[in-house]
Amino acid sequence: MSQEIHLPQGWEARWDGQSNAYIYVEQSTGKSQWEVPTQPSYGSSPPPQQSAPSHRPGRRQYPTAQIQQVYGGGGYDNQPQQQHMAAPGYPDQGGAQQQQQPQYFTPGLGGHDAHQPAYGQQPQQPAYGGQQAPSYGQQGGYGGQQQQPVDQMANQFQQMNMGYGGQGQGQPQMQGQKQLHSIQTVNLIGMQPDVSGLDAPPPPYLLPPNASVTASPHVQPDPSYQRCTLTSMPTTQSLLNKSKLPLALVMAPYRSFRESDGDDPVPVIEDSVIARCRRCRAYINPFVTFIEGGNRWKCCMCGLSNEVPQLFDWNQAENKQADRWARKELNHSVVEFIAPTEYMVRPPQPPVYAFVIDVSQQAIQSGMVAVAARTILESLDNIPNADKRTKIAIIAVSTSLHFFSLPVGATEASMLVVSDLTDVFLPKPVDLLVNLTESRPAIESLLGKLSDMFQDSHTVGNALGSALQAAHQLIGKIGGKIIALTATLPTLGEGALKARDDPKLLGTSKESSLLNAASSFYKTFAIECSKQQVAVDMFLFSTSYTDVATLSCLPRYTAGQTYLYPGFNASRSEDAIKFATEFSKVLAMPIGLEAVIRVRASRGIRMSAFHGNFFIRSTDLLALPVVPTDQNYVIELQLEDDIKGSFVVLQTAILHTTCYGERRIRVITQAMPTTDSISELYGSADQIAIATYLTNKAVERSMSHSLDDARNTITNKLGDMLSVYKNHVTSSAGASAQLAVPDNLKLLPLLCCALVKHVGLREGASIPPDLRAYAQCLLTTLPCQSLIPYIHPRFYSLHNMPPEAGNPGDDGIITLPPALNLTSERLERHGLFLIEDGQNIFIWVGHEAVPRLIQDVFDLPSYGELTGGKTTLPLLENPFSQRVNNIVAKTRELRRGVYRPHVYVVKSDAEPALRSWALSLLVEDRMDHMSSYAQYLTTVKSKVGSNVSL
Amino acid sequence: MGGEGWLFLFAVLMAAVLLFTMVFFIIMFSDLECDYINPIDLCNKLNQFVLPEMIAHAFLTLCFLLSGQWLAFLLNAPLVGYNVNKIMAKNHMYDATEIFRTLSGHKKESFIKLGFYLVSFFYYLYRMILALISESD
Repeated sequence: MSQEIHLPQGWEARWDGQSNAYIYVEQSTGKSQWEVPTQPSYGSSPPPQQSAPSHRPGRRQYPTAQIQQVYGGGGYDNQPQQQHMAAPGYPDQGGAQQQQQPQYFTPGLGGHDAHQPAYGQQPQQPAYGGQQAPSYGQQGGYGGQQQQPVDQMANQFQQMNMGYGGQGQGQPQMQGQKQLHSIQTVNLIGMQPDVSGLDAPPPPYLLPPNASVTASPHVQPDPSYQRCTLTSMPTTQSLLNKSKLPLALVMAPYRSFRESDGDDPVPVIEDSVIARCRRCRAYINPFVTFIEGGNRWKCCMCGLSNEVPQLFDWNQAENKQADRWARKELNHSVVEFIAPTEYMVRPPQPPVYAFVIDVSQQAIQSGMVAVAARTILESLDNIPNADKRTKIAIIAVSTSLHFFSLPVGATEASMLVVSDLTDVFLPKPVDLLVNLTESRPAIESLLGKLSDMFQDSHTVGNALGSALQAAHQLIGKIGGKIIALTATLPTLGEGALKARDDPKLLGTSKESSLLNAASSFYKTFAIECSKQQVAVDMFLFSTSYTDVATLSCLPRYTAGQTYLYPGFNASRSEDAIKFATEFSKVLAMPIGLEAVIRVRASRGIRMSAFHGNFFIRSTDLLALPVVPTDQNYVIELQLEDDIKGSFVVLQTAILHTTCYGERRIRVITQAMPTTDSISELYGSADQIAIATYLTNKAVERSMSHSLDDARNTITNKLGDMLSVYKNHVTSSAGASAQLAVPDNLKLLPLLCCALVKHVGLREGASIPPDLRAYAQCLLTTLPCQSLIPYIHPRFYSLHNMPPEAGNPGDDGIITLPPALNLTSERLERHGLFLIEDGQNIFIWVGHEAVPRLIQDVFDLPSYGELTGGKTTLPLLENPFSQRVNNIVAKTRELRRGVYRPHVYVVKSDAEPALRSWALSLLVEDRMDHMSSYAQYLTTVKSKVGSNVSL
Repeated sequence: MGGEGWLFLFAVLMAAVLLFTMVFFIIMFSDLECDYINPIDLCNKLNQFVLPEMIAHAFLTLCFLLSGQWLAFLLNAPLVGYNVNKIMAKNHMYDATEIFRTLSGHKKESFIKLGFYLVSFFYYLYRMILALISESD
């Protein structure tokens, strides 16, 4: 591997710190030259060492290293003249070298290795002495184009030191070695889980050095965009099968960005130079290789060499040469391209919103219509309408359809009633779908009195299906979003449903039928909508059964979202505020329109199954009429072929029209190292992603089979994983009193335990089918950040929280108290606790709470005066009340998404329903006949043990 | 040619038709896999043929029952039962939203049916020839 192997006898390479290139010296004569003193046949007959596969990891750096070398490191540039200026003192031979160089860029040519010393071996040659350190320093300072990740640099410094230590040239190359995850086995039996680990980042992606062409820290996506259940890719499917670990991508590509979380906005590439591979259509990304002097790039997925577009190095705005290494697509994993017309079927359409509002007696009485109308009215300015093209339509529905004509210039809306529900038609060809800006006065006046208009109607019945069809007819030509708000079960017209919630079915194996759609109308209609780029959001306000399972079909296949407000009553201010807040956030959401998602991956990897809200249009294409922010998708992967190469690349592309009328492609690229070792796979497993995957699988299973099956699936998969780990990784076969798990999966059993006790999957006959179906909707759509607390709630003790908790920290962010284990052992009789799962906040008050505490928090004289239930905490003039309020407020805005949790006060000795609901969140406890965490571990351990005997 | 001969001649033709239907199904499924057709069109197209195929098969089985061809009837009865069961459970139609999840199952089913129709085709042919020979004797 040393330099001399490639050089003819008697030659030596020396690093010239000034010109950043090697100078070759013939030792006998002292003659020096810049050209590599090789034989002409060099390229065609590489030395045997070079074909040895042992040094794969280092290879990818050479092209860039060579570019540097060719151009004296003065920045990549196509024009040699400028180069000479950039590198003063560069000898004239440099020109000759440039001409000679290109042969080394030929793909697959062993000659690459001739330049390995540029990074790897130079320190091993003691002859260079003091020159080396400064030369590295210079390398690091190429105007921010540093070619190596920092850790690699550190590695080299390390090597250098060893070189100085006189180890000589026989020293093995550190660079050739693969970094591995360190696996620590921990025992779970008898241990209390450390819940703070739930926020820990996934295991690192240990990419080979120089996998990326730039040293940007953003070449891998934030886990909130995309994460994989394994952070290293197995090389064969048989290895994956053997390991029993799931392989799936968990992603929320249209994640919202909040400055409070320190999220960076997605970099936008505005010059519409979109370099894509000709064969696999992958977008250029930080993991491609530039070859042939940078004129071509080699696709990192299929290996095809593609031409670099002419304008790639050209700054079109300023009309001058641009620095290629500063291009955003080579520095960022998540980028957005502005798409030219080739990516459009039609010019970008305006955002369109059609509101279908239930105005039956029940809806009016609950106050839903009034709150909804007021919220829409107040949000009119927040609805995305940057270019004043947004269109809006309002349809009120009870036993007949009420359309509103909102002509431009009118200040009053006129109502048109259609009572034919079987064959829906639009009463008027124009003015029903109107421009929001132009018809603003009419819209405002209509929304102002919508609730009063139907105040006296006593119609019972809801023709929701027909109204949806009408809305679809209305906006179908453009596409857009239908927002349906209904307080009653649709009973008339198309898609009429029956109250089928037979309590006898609950808790039996037939319960899963209640989780499936009752009517095929909602599925076929969803397909119609998807075809016409229409999405449906469902807001359900049930006081009785509304068949969430059936109605949520529409959002599921049109990429919408379902929201449920059980027992909604607007006269309770909490209900009204919660709905108004969430609804206005939904309206203001910067949606993407007419979107398709496609995931591409390196050769050998295939997407095998998809979970989430969308319609699968072909084997690998997901159609989303509207992309909501912060929705999660899970994509299972399979390996069709054995994977060669030291890393693989997965790329998600989402082509969409922004609500500001631009066609864009958001590309998320992720590289993963490959491994053929089962222990490395276990060391790289991401427990949060695996839990998300298992959640989606379990919900799917509960619909296709039964809830019992779904719970068993989770436990069996966990048992399988842990038994493989025990037998193949820890190699401690036979019975033992311990349950061994790798350190990075130590919370997975806890999450699985919480999942089987989650309201969406829990055993029991007391969960209303609506709540279960809604919980399942959330389980399959929440992104990890919200999903994990939804499965495994947070539990804080407030009465004895540390002094800094509840007050703003140094950075102005409210500090939360330390999270406790979810067990009632932690509840104290005199204490005040908070349990939250992102959807609800429970404030638990112990019955021996001192009056002072009650006074401070609730402004009531004693515990006896306190009433449980939905409430708003008063903000009082004392520090403790302010801290508690701070914590509640912080909890509400802790996560991305529209949800605003209710606060419930739970008294420890009253209201058994509320109390048991709150206690059901303490998942480490035993509840009814559901096992505690310790018992669950024993169950898992027995499965691990039984697998051993097989 | 007597009744038995005519019956089996009819059965041979029916089996051939059913055979081709299954070939058509399988071709359509592989088209879907190769992305030549979108799932909505596929389901619209195939769903037109699902019930006719089941009815044709059930009718053939009924003919065997009425004409007392017990062996041929017993051969076909399980498939009729299976089809009826599917219709009762209302999952006989192809669902565009689920098609990719269930595609492998559908393909397997179509292949098994194809094999079954092929076997029955030759069986009917054999019985037809047998009937013709016994008549001419």
